[in-house]
Amino acid sequence: MEDELLGIKNTAISLILDSKDQKELEEVMLQFLGRSGRLTLSLKELPKLPIEKRAEVGTLANDVKKTIEEAIDRKRDELSHHKLTEKRKKIDITNPGILPPLGHLHLITQAIEEITTIFAQIGCTRVRYPEVEWDWYAFEALNFPDNHPARDDWETFFIKTEANPKKGPMILTPHTSSGQIREMERKQKPPIRMLNIAKCYRRQSDVSHTPMFHQFEGLVVDKNISITHLKGTLDYFAKSYFGENRKTRIRPYHFQFTEPSFEVDISCGICNGKGCKLCKEGWLELGGAGMVHPNVLKAGGIDPNIYTGFAFGWGVERVLMMKAGIKIDDLRILYSNKLEFLEQF
Amino acid sequence: MNIKIIDSWLREYLITKASAEVIAEKLSLCSVSVEKIEKIDGDLIYDVEITSNRPDLMSVIGIAREAAAVLPQFGIDAKFIPLEPTKNKKLGKELPLEIVNNPKLVNRICTALMSVKIGNSPRFIKERLEKSGIRSLNNLVDVTNYVMREVGHPAHVFDFDRLNSKKLIIRESKKGERIITLDEKLHVLEGGDIVADNGNGQIVDLLGVMGTANSIVTDQTKKILYFIDNNEPYHIRKTSMNNGIRTEAAIINEKEIDPELAKIALLRGIELYRKIADGELIADANDIYPNKTRPKTVNVFKSKIDTVIGIDIPLEECEKILEKLGFRVKVKNQILSVDIPSQRIADILNQEDIIEEIARIFGYHKLPSMLPPLVEVESYHMDKNEFYWENRVKNTLKNWGLTEVYTYSMISEEIFEGPTENAIKLKNPLNEDLVYLRKTLIPSLLEVVKNNKKNEQLKIFEISNIYEKRVGDLPKEIRMIAGVIKRPNVSFFEAKGIAEQLLNTCNIKNVTFKTSEHGGIASSVYIEEDYLGEIELLDSNIVDFEFNFEKIIKLANLSKVYKPLAKYPPVIEDLSIIANENIKTADIIEEIYAQNELIKEVTLLDQYQDTRTFHIIYRSEEGNLTADQVKKVREKVLTALEAKFHAKLKK
Repeated sequence: MEDELLGIKNTAISLILDSKDQKELEEVMLQFLGRSGRLTLSLKELPKLPIEKRAEVGTLANDVKKTIEEAIDRKRDELSHHKLTEKRKKIDITNPGILPPLGHLHLITQAIEEITTIFAQIGCTRVRYPEVEWDWYAFEALNFPDNHPARDDWETFFIKTEANPKKGPMILTPHTSSGQIREMERKQKPPIRMLNIAKCYRRQSDVSHTPMFHQFEGLVVDKNISITHLKGTLDYFAKSYFGENRKTRIRPYHFQFTEPSFEVDISCGICNGKGCKLCKEGWLELGGAGMVHPNVLKAGGIDPNIYTGFAFGWGVERVLMMKAGIKIDDLRILYSNKLEFLEQF
Repeated sequence: MNIKIIDSWLREYLITKASAEVIAEKLSLCSVSVEKIEKIDGDLIYDVEITSNRPDLMSVIGIAREAAAVLPQFGIDAKFIPLEPTKNKKLGKELPLEIVNNPKLVNRICTALMSVKIGNSPRFIKERLEKSGIRSLNNLVDVTNYVMREVGHPAHVFDFDRLNSKKLIIRESKKGERIITLDEKLHVLEGGDIVADNGNGQIVDLLGVMGTANSIVTDQTKKILYFIDNNEPYHIRKTSMNNGIRTEAAIINEKEIDPELAKIALLRGIELYRKIADGELIADANDIYPNKTRPKTVNVFKSKIDTVIGIDIPLEECEKILEKLGFRVKVKNQILSVDIPSQRIADILNQEDIIEEIARIFGYHKLPSMLPPLVEVESYHMDKNEFYWENRVKNTLKNWGLTEVYTYSMISEEIFEGPTENAIKLKNPLNEDLVYLRKTLIPSLLEVVKNNKKNEQLKIFEISNIYEKRVGDLPKEIRMIAGVIKRPNVSFFEAKGIAEQLLNTCNIKNVTFKTSEHGGIASSVYIEEDYLGEIELLDSNIVDFEFNFEKIIKLANLSKVYKPLAKYPPVIEDLSIIANENIKTADIIEEIYAQNELIKEVTLLDQYQDTRTFHIIYRSEEGNLTADQVKKVREKVLTALEAKFHAKLKK
C-alpha cells in the first residue's frame, strides 16, 4: 500500500508540473483527488488493512494528499501569473481606466465644510438659524432703532404679511447676525462659542452680489473676552483658510451692533502686502467685526457688566472668491447651476 | 458716506510735516478710511469714507481734529488749529422778521440779515468747492456750501426780499401741500415735513433738505437772510426718503448734528460774505436756541477698559488720548469721569464708546493676537448632529455620481405649485422670478434641467429648506432633500435604488414603498407609518425624488450590534414563481418570509412577464440543514403562495 501511495504521489506531481494550463491542471486534480480519483479510491482501501498498519498508512496517505494539494495550488498560482504576464503584453496601459462614479459637491458646500472644520478646531459649535425672521431679531435687538438710516445698507426683503406688534415686520434675514440673539436665547448664559452659517437675502444683484447668499457668523461671549481674542481668531482663520503667510489687520468702522467696530483686512496674496493693482496698498477687505454692543448682550439676556464678547460676519461666497487661484469674476455664476461650471469642482 | 477733503484746506486747521500719504495711512488705521488720494491741479484730495455715527467728521475741521489726535501716536508732531471766526460789533438793530419756531422740529435757528452784491466767487473758493465735488454757482450760494464743508453744519440762504413777509413760521407740512424745490421739481408732500411758512400759508423752505424755488437767491438779490437750522433728524430722514431728495445737506441732517456748530457756521458765513460778496450786517445776528445741548459725562471703569482691550493701557495715556479728541477727563479711584464735547454728544453714550476712542487712537495694530480659551460649551454627539449627517449624505450622493446644486429659495408664480393663497410672498421682490418662498424643491430642480439643455444626461440633487406658512408665527422651515435624474429611458428603479441605499447607509430600517396618492407613476415612501416623501417618474427621461430630510436625520443612527457569525452553512436556491403581474413583489416576499424562520433572506433575482425568480437563503442556527428540512419549508412556501396569490412553481 505504501508503495502504491508513493507511486501515486510521484505520478501526480509529475503531471501537475507538466500541466500547461488551468484546464489540464483541473483534469489532473480530478484524476487523482476527484470522486473516482486514484488517491481517493486508494484511501477507500484503508479500512481493509490490518489494524496495526492503519495509523501509519493513514498518516502517509494524508501527507500524500497534502503534498498533491499544495503542488496543485502552487501550479495554479504559477499558471495564473504566467497568464497575467501574457495579458500584460497584450494590454495598452495608456487606455483610460474604468472610472467609478463621481459627482460634485457645490463650491458653497465645500467652502462651508472647510470653514466649519477650521472653527471646530478652536471649539466653535456650528448652528443654523432661521432664514425668515422677525425684524426684532435682525435689527431692533441688534441696536437698530426704528427708521434708522443704517438699516438702508441692508436692502431688506419684506414678507407680505401682518407685522407682529412686538417683533415687528417679517423679513428674509439680510445677515446671520440675527443668529447672535437666537444663540444667546438658546444658551441663556455664557460661555458661547457660536458659528452660525445660513442663507441670507438682500435686494441686490450684480457682479459681486446675488439676492440669496451665505454668511458665516462667529460669536464668542464669556468673561474677559477682549479685542486681542478677536485678533487672534481672525489671524487663525486667515492663516488656515488662505495660507500660512497671510496676515489680518483691523481698522475702525461702525456697526450698530458692535462697539468698538472694525473693518477687517487681509494681506494681499499676490504681492504679499507690498501693493499691487489687485489690492489696496497690500490689503484686501474681508468683512466686518466688533465687540458685541452692550445693548445687544442685554437684548440676548446677558449682563454686559459681567460678560464681553466679539462677533464677525462674512460672506461665504466672498471668502471663496478670494481663495487663491479660483479666478471667479462674477458671483452670479455660483447660482447659475450650469453643469459646465459645477463639474469643474 | 464719502466726502472729498482738500489737503491744502485741511492744513489751515492741521499743522504737521506729515505728507498726505502718511496722513491718509494713519487716519485709515485709527480713524476714518481714506479710500484714495487724487491729484488735481497741484492739489491733493482725500476721498474719505465717513461712517453714519460720525457726522462730526463730515468736515475739514472734523478731520483736522482727528488727524491731530492720531499722528502723534506714530511719533509725528501735529497740532489742531480750531476755527475762531471774527466776532461782530453789536448794531442794536433787530431782525425785521418774526421767526416762530417749533422746538419739537428745530433745535436751533441762527440767522444773519445782510446786504450783498451777487457775483462769481473768487477763484480759490470756486476751486475748493469744485475739487470737493460741489458745483460753484454764485458767491451767495457758494458760501453756504463752503461753510458746510468746512465747519460740518449745513447752511441755507434766502433772498430776503423774495420772502416778502414779516413772519416765518416753522411747522410741519400737511399732506398734499405742494412745493417746487430750487431744481424746479414739483413735490407733493406726505405731511410731517419740516417747512417754513411765510405767514400766508406759502411754503418758502423745506428745512434741512432743499430750498424752494420761490425764495432762493437770483441775479437780482440785494439782501440775504443767511439761515442755519439745526433740525430733528428723523423728520429730515422721512422727508428726504419720501421725496427722493438726497442732497448732502439732507444726508448730514438726518444724523444728529451738534447744534453748537450752528453758531460757528453762522459766524464763519458772515465772515465769508463780508470777504467775497461785499456783505454787511443789516441787523444783529439772531439766535433761537430752545434745545440747548445738555452737558454729558460718562464714567468709565479702568477695569472695563482693560477687559475689553485686553492689555493694560496706563491711565495717563488714556487721559491724553481722550483730551486730544476734545474730551475732558478727571480720574479718581481707577474711574475716568469723561465730559463729552458737544460734537460727540450724539454718538458717545456709554463706556464702550469711550473705550473705542481710547483703543483706536492707541492703535489696534499694537494689540497682541491670542485665541480665546478653549471651554466646554456643549458635548458633541456625532450620531445626532444634523451637520454630520447632511455632510455624510452629500458625500454619499457625490460618490454615486450626483452633482449638487443650489437653487434660489424664492420662485416665480409660474413654477409655484398649488394655490398661491397659502404661499409666503415677498412684499418687495427684486424681480418676477423670485416672488414666492417655495414649498417643494422639485420645480427649481426641473428649471436647472431646462437650463442645461445641452446635457442629455444629468443627475442632480439639493438639500435645502421649504417654507410652510403658520398663522401669527414665522413659517416652518423644513429641510428637504430632492434629486432629479435625466437619462433617455431612465428607470423608476434608479431613483428607488438611490432612496433605498441612502436610507440604508443611514441605518434606517422598515422602509416601505406604497403607491402614491398623488397619481402618476410614483411611489410614496414611508418609514414605518411616517410619511417621508415621493419618488416620481415624470416622463420617459426624467425621474425625481423628494424626501423630508429632517425625518431622515432624526432616524439616522450609527448604532452597531454584533451578530455572531453563522455556525452552519446556508442552503441557497432560486425558485421561479408564476404569478399574476398585478400581485406586488413585496407582498410575495413578505409571504415567503412568513412561512418559516429558517428563511433568512429572500430577494427578487429576475422578472420576465409573469415569472418571477426569487433567490432564497435558508439557514439554521442549530445545525446543518438536511435536504428534507429544506423540502418541507419549500413546500410550505409554495402552498402558501398558491393559496394567497394563486401562484405556481414554474416547471
